Amino acid sequence: MKPLVTLDTQIEDLVLKHPKSVHFLTKSGIRCIRCGEPLWCSLGELLEDEKVKDSQHLVDKLNQFLEEQD
Amino acid sequence: MNAKAVLEKLNINEINVGACAGPDDWYKDPEAEESISINPATGEPIARVLQATEKTYEQVLEAATKAFKSWQMMPAPKRGLVIRDLREALQEKKEPLGDLVTLEMGKIRAEGHGEVQEMIDICDFALGLSRQLYGLTMHSERPAHRMYEQWHPLGAVGVVTAFNFPVAVWSWNAAIAAACGDTTVWKPSSDTPLTAIAVQHIANQVMSSHGLKGVFNLLIGRGSVIGERMINDPRLPLISFTGSTKMGRRVSEAVSRHFGRTILELGGNNAIIVTEDADLEMAVRTILFGAVGTAGQRCTSTRRIIMHKSIASELTENIKKAYKQVKIGNPMEEGILMGPLVTKAAVEDMMAALEKAREQGGEIILGGKRLHDLGEQFVEPALVKMPAQTEIVHIETFAPILYLMEYDDLEEAIRIHNEVPQGLSSSIFTTNLLKAEKFLSHEGSDCGIANVNIGTSGAEIGGAFGGEKETGGGRESGSDAWKAYMRRQTNTINWSRELPLAQGIKFGD
Repeated sequence: MKPLVTLDTQIEDLVLKHPKSVHFLTKSGIRCIRCGEPLWCSLGELLEDEKVKDSQHLVDKLNQFLEEQD
Repeated sequence: MNAKAVLEKLNINEINVGACAGPDDWYKDPEAEESISINPATGEPIARVLQATEKTYEQVLEAATKAFKSWQMMPAPKRGLVIRDLREALQEKKEPLGDLVTLEMGKIRAEGHGEVQEMIDICDFALGLSRQLYGLTMHSERPAHRMYEQWHPLGAVGVVTAFNFPVAVWSWNAAIAAACGDTTVWKPSSDTPLTAIAVQHIANQVMSSHGLKGVFNLLIGRGSVIGERMINDPRLPLISFTGSTKMGRRVSEAVSRHFGRTILELGGNNAIIVTEDADLEMAVRTILFGAVGTAGQRCTSTRRIIMHKSIASELTENIKKAYKQVKIGNPMEEGILMGPLVTKAAVEDMMAALEKAREQGGEIILGGKRLHDLGEQFVEPALVKMPAQTEIVHIETFAPILYLMEYDDLEEAIRIHNEVPQGLSSSIFTTNLLKAEKFLSHEGSDCGIANVNIGTSGAEIGGAFGGEKETGGGRESGSDAWKAYMRRQTNTINWSRELPLAQGIKFGD
């Protein structure tokens, strides 16, 4: 099955299509991705900026979280 | 006014074009993606927008830069008269525009109408300013020389606004920039495109009556497409950006690369210190408005209360009582004090922050729950008692969460107050002159805005608005904020027949 979210997913799409991802990311220490204006970058760029070591692993966990929510 | 009437009065159609440079210059691209504006109170679509594309971006930028050439040559007081007419047009449309703000963004009607009043007020200010773009004169150290400075228009200015003040922040920038001889290119929040289209129609009507175009321009589109183009475009020598600190950093880096300027109005984490001698009744009313108004989604929303131990229990109880009286519901209805949050993501953000606060020793003493019966985006405002200013309290959560903390002496209160990375707005409630003055002094609040016995939110347009540290350092609106929209030129004129050099230097004599 195609993952809901990938490293290339734009943050604007993420917060619009998968708002619960904000909850997951905040709990994972990645905050303020939508205050005022969603970040103008991809999830991959955000995780790199946040110095997340294994960003693919975090995205996998996010997908799992989103699937469980559905 | 019902939604249909509001849209009709503001010329909002079922499908709207998101790129415009003047009365007859709505640019449509068949490749344009469509976005839907959703009413946050009902979850229902209001209308659709065809977003700007690369092609329409170019058309708008070309129009804005071309218009600048002639607009800057119009004498400033004459530009002021155009702004005066914009003021009149806004006054005429105040009710429907205020209602549209409420429909699209979710703030209550009184606040929606207040926001349009702010637009009117800043037009008044800009009209006066158009005759007061003063420069200084200096006494030259050289004989028979005259020195002075003058302020010239800057160019086409990029304005990026957030959802929470979907129209007022545009006017803070656009009215001042117009008085200064600049044109503006506006990218509103993707959450509130219709208010921007309504404002563009109003501005177009005024431009049309003066035979103008390209002065006020609009680009509705994705930040990752249109926003990125704007911040990397040297044709926009100034970008005024309102949004998060993270986004502000991105904007600042990009604009700096081409040596452009920025006005950054970023995150706030605003606190009120309540001293042992404060008028608690006044403090409670202020705290309620500051923390619950606009559902805690103002940059200046009150997010922290730092209260003296001796009055902490009484103040907490009184705040709780006030919170319990807040009517939450559809913001279009009379008597409602708090509407929905702007998006579902905002609700998730709030819930995650509350979980974090609990993990860090916080106790949610009131509210903080989702209100499913009202709709997916309604929440109870939360009061959270914190044992200390933990990591989550250092972060701006754009939602109605108010953290309550205690202090023993004023030095400690100011330390707690200034400990956060943001520095937008601040306040002290006290009847003690010495404490008030200490708070306002350079060893007191480190914010751009510091108040005594009024809250952190609800600024007037006459003062410069903005903050320090991670709030970005920008200033918009009143006072001398206009200087950021112009370029300063220092001029020296020699009216003698000699050529003396400065610093007494002799060169080849």
